[in-house]
Amino acid sequence: MSRDKNLPLTETVFYILLALMEPAHGYLIIQKVEELSGGQVRMAAGTLYGAVENLVKLKLIQPVKSEDSRRKVYVITEKGIETLRLDFARMNHMIEVTKKILG
Amino acid sequence: MRKCKFFINFDKEEQWLNDMAKQGHRFINKSSNYEFQPAKPENRLIKIDFRTFKKQADFEDYRALFEDSGWKHIAGTKKSGSQYFEKIDEHGNEDIFSDADSKAGRYQRLSKMWLTLAVFYIPILVVLILTNTVDPTALLNPKLLYFTPGLWERTGAYFWRSFLFETPFVFFRGFFWFFFPVMIILYFAFGIKANMHYQKTLEKL
Repeated sequence: MSRDKNLPLTETVFYILLALMEPAHGYLIIQKVEELSGGQVRMAAGTLYGAVENLVKLKLIQPVKSEDSRRKVYVITEKGIETLRLDFARMNHMIEVTKKILG
Repeated sequence: MRKCKFFINFDKEEQWLNDMAKQGHRFINKSSNYEFQPAKPENRLIKIDFRTFKKQADFEDYRALFEDSGWKHIAGTKKSGSQYFEKIDEHGNEDIFSDADSKAGRYQRLSKMWLTLAVFYIPILVVLILTNTVDPTALLNPKLLYFTPGLWERTGAYFWRSFLFETPFVFFRGFFWFFFPVMIILYFAFGIKANMHYQKTLEKL
């Protein structure tokens, strides 16, 4: 079976996609990612900007209309949600086999 | 105060700007030169990203994100490439990048810019050569830059008089002839150098 070419997602990308289940602008994404990861993933501005640009190119997220005239707001796409689901299933599988072997 | 300096290495450029701040020169702008204002010597943290933007709105969004994250945009324009940021939030990140890929990515974009410029100049040079406007082989044989008929067969004072008379013209001609070949070589060299920094930054972290 051929796997989605975007899988596995990196930890950062996974949290960005998760954060964008609701629309958010750049800095809000940074804050949400930090919160979702329990403070483990603290993204710097330049890194987030490049990551968002890349995810838009991959059509996993898209810009939406925003009330803030300066800040662009993004939200996850259908393809993005599907990718998240696939990676979730991948990790679930890892957890199950690990449980069996490691106990 | 203005200073003219050229960097391919962002880390060294950042270090230099921070050192200048320690000596009481506050970096305020960069056009063709670096502009400084006298200030109290202080520890400042300046970081450089490299990006150009198609739309003004993209540039504004980019700057807003950095400002929200505690980095004030001090120099750089939509098309300038180098974007200078200064840390203004004590509790913020120590860098504008949090992983090696993105820290290296700025060198990749810089390298691409130089290589694009080099490639862009090649058709211009080709047209100049095909129309016999310039002859780059003169780089190896500068005698070709002299147009006086029979100049190199002359001897003594007769030779020197003709030679010195034409030399100022030769400087202008040479500048024009060599401008594009030299620029193309330089741009390729900068592009390759930037790519080396890209590879090195990827390996470092």
